[in-house]
Amino acid sequence: MEPSRNIRRQPAWHVFASEFGEATLNEKGSGEYDPSFVITRLGAKINRCLVAGLLERVEARETSSGQTMYQGQLRDPSGLMYFSVGDYDPESARESILGLSRALEEGETMHVMMVAKARWYQTDEGAIYTSLRPEEVVRIDPSRYSAWLARTANATLARLAAYERAQPVVSEGPEAMKQAGIPGHLVPGLSLALPHYDGASVEQYRLHVLQALDIAEGRMDAVRTEPAKLPVHGGETAEGEASPAGGSDDANDVMKQLIATLDQGQGVDYETLIRNMGARGFDAGLADTTLDALFDEGSILEPNFGWYRLVE
Amino acid sequence: MSDHPYGDHVALVLESCPDASEEDVVKAFKQYEEEFFIPPQDAMHSIIRKLQVSSTPTGTGRSPSGGSARTAKPMRKVERLEELTGEDQNVEITVQLVSHNVREQTVRGEERTIAFGLLEDQPYDSSTPSTRWEYKDWAPKSELRAGSIVRLEGASVNEYQGRRSINVNRSTRVVVLEEGTAPVVAPGEPLSIADLPKEGNVCVVARVLGIRPDVIHRRDGTGSIDVVRGRLADDTGSIGFLSWEPLDLEVGQLVKIDGANVRTFRDTPELNFGRTTTVEAYHDAAFASTEDLEAAAAATIADLRDGARDVRCVVEIHEWQRRTFTRDGEERHLWSGQVADPSGRCRMSAWDELPIDESSLPVTVRLTGVRVRAWQGVPDITVDSADQVEVLDGPPWEERIDFATHSVEVDFDELAEGGGRVGVSTTGLIVSVRDDSGLILRCPECRRVLRDGACQDHGPQDGQEDVRLRLVMQGEGSTISVFLGRDPALALLDMDLDALRAAIAEHGAMAWVQTLRARFLGRSATVRGRLLVDERSSMFMAEALEPLDEDGAMMATEARAHWEVA
Repeated sequence: MEPSRNIRRQPAWHVFASEFGEATLNEKGSGEYDPSFVITRLGAKINRCLVAGLLERVEARETSSGQTMYQGQLRDPSGLMYFSVGDYDPESARESILGLSRALEEGETMHVMMVAKARWYQTDEGAIYTSLRPEEVVRIDPSRYSAWLARTANATLARLAAYERAQPVVSEGPEAMKQAGIPGHLVPGLSLALPHYDGASVEQYRLHVLQALDIAEGRMDAVRTEPAKLPVHGGETAEGEASPAGGSDDANDVMKQLIATLDQGQGVDYETLIRNMGARGFDAGLADTTLDALFDEGSILEPNFGWYRLVE
Repeated sequence: MSDHPYGDHVALVLESCPDASEEDVVKAFKQYEEEFFIPPQDAMHSIIRKLQVSSTPTGTGRSPSGGSARTAKPMRKVERLEELTGEDQNVEITVQLVSHNVREQTVRGEERTIAFGLLEDQPYDSSTPSTRWEYKDWAPKSELRAGSIVRLEGASVNEYQGRRSINVNRSTRVVVLEEGTAPVVAPGEPLSIADLPKEGNVCVVARVLGIRPDVIHRRDGTGSIDVVRGRLADDTGSIGFLSWEPLDLEVGQLVKIDGANVRTFRDTPELNFGRTTTVEAYHDAAFASTEDLEAAAAATIADLRDGARDVRCVVEIHEWQRRTFTRDGEERHLWSGQVADPSGRCRMSAWDELPIDESSLPVTVRLTGVRVRAWQGVPDITVDSADQVEVLDGPPWEERIDFATHSVEVDFDELAEGGGRVGVSTTGLIVSVRDDSGLILRCPECRRVLRDGACQDHGPQDGQEDVRLRLVMQGEGSTISVFLGRDPALALLDMDLDALRAAIAEHGAMAWVQTLRARFLGRSATVRGRLLVDERSSMFMAEALEPLDEDGAMMATEARAHWEVA
């Protein structure tokens, strides 16, 4: 009979992409089989989570050791979740991802839910990334997605409430936190998160919750936002005077506009930019040079490897 | 362009995908919004991608790996004290405090309070020996207590004559990971019963609820020891006691007991009195009366724990049978059956004939001084003599208990944290459908599941086909493994064995389990059955599982109301 009571199965946290993606704190016990955790600003101490969203991308990638890794991203109302599945992951999860990847290539649109292990790693520069390793993956219908949105919104609101209550008592230790009405399962994470993140803003999570609730209630009109306005520079320009080899100033402007328009908070990835530049008549080589030039002149940032934002 | 609300989004997509028609783009936005609840700003990326996929070749080695980045603080984080040198000034380490003492010391001519003691590294790793160092806390922090496990951030190392120790400085941050389990209680400082530790030397003030002489037989057959057993209570709870010394107390007497030892037998703590324990009369007119304490100490079936003694409770007996067996050539009897109260069901056994007429069941009885054994965590009340049982005219509770379907709804996390229970139902979320669900072959000798056609004990066998589903469900912060045997599994799947066999043959075992996931993963469900708990594991044996239909819009509205968000 398993799981044993001594080594309990870690519960799956309901968490939106933004809260998970912004986590930089982790804990790994010293024993070989100790679970490892990603701890979010709101004190979710995540070893495993239950996430859902629109499947946007799955790509196969060869690793240095010659294995195939499938990487992809899920979009929920707060942003993107990144996942990867490799040869060491459960066969059923790999098969599911492969099947979904084929459906995506055939142009299907789908919601996916996954129970996944939280991963984190740190680059040599000290940047911390979080991502997911799926254990069980299913395609879900919109009604299950909307139930997930509501449940995750509820769990996030519970964490926001506990976060506020914990601020004045966290220094007094776990018992004081429990007495202040903080649910037991949030105490360990909040004890670690509050000192670590030290006043980092959490209000954006409330906004994401409200968006999720609107969507779950079917109030799409409340959720729509206008895209950033493009300066007058449309199809005519691309078709007309701007030849593919057109002035690099022109490429610079188009690139900047693309980044401004496509950035939804976490920057724009390299591939999307190259592709969109291509659609406007700039080849990949020029687009790549343009990115480098803009980066060198300080107009854009690369907050994560391969992701670009405008300097505001 | 004004007959849709996607205005500029459409323009942007068209700019990136000059080959697409406006009509298609609007349709795509509409589909994303109506079928997939994705607002246009979020859908744009996918739509552009989808429309471009066939036209533009991809292929770059530069691609993001995801996530967001922050820079970590430069602090030296170590697990073992031995990794530290005398130079280390900004250290992070997790330790357990072995001892903690406070003293006054003159530091640079100034009288200051400092704390010192011993600490140990690797508190969570029992496989390697821990190293102990001394520490000093120069600005005593309330978080540091003997027994606590803490993470020190920004501690420094002091090296003096080749000996290293840890300095906890004013700027060091202390994160308490676990409160000390062995609080140092000043002798003579009484604790309330609810606050007693699981092990340790304590002082309590309590009223005697029960007391009786007992005899413990030495296992090696060298004789017996006279002891006194009984029960003490205060207004926070009650606890059994065992005195190895003669004890002259009466029921109802209020006493102060100092130097008693708490020992936990099975799941039940007990106070032990020995030669160094002092027991004296205590006077407090405001202390709860015997009657009140007795009423409060009455247990419900849900409260019963393995190893409990001197239990008082009221139950309804629903089944009662006499069984006969022979021991040492002598014919003996054992009575056993099923009992229930509003909190649940369990078994009961008696070594003495009870004044119960089997034809008049159910019968309500008050039990006094009985003990509890448990099998797989499910309690079994043991009655040793008929005078522990008083037949009542009727149950003290209002509701009629229908034994066949009697199941008590229990909060998921309460169930997961507690002991074994029979006849319970609970609601949680299905978070895993395990790969080994489906058809299995069992050994005809021992029912064990065959692996590669062989039983671990009985070798190769022609197995008997059986069905099982294994799920994991969870509540707020805990999980329970759920097992569905053949009948509940087929009922849930709404098919017979032949149909199941055909479905598994059609999909293959792994893909068939995947169809179950597609149906159940991430859904709430109510399960009814019993929870078995032993020392190492727990499992809910489901008699029935019913997935709930959930309305996301309704749940969202409830969440708004509950958390008072607009």
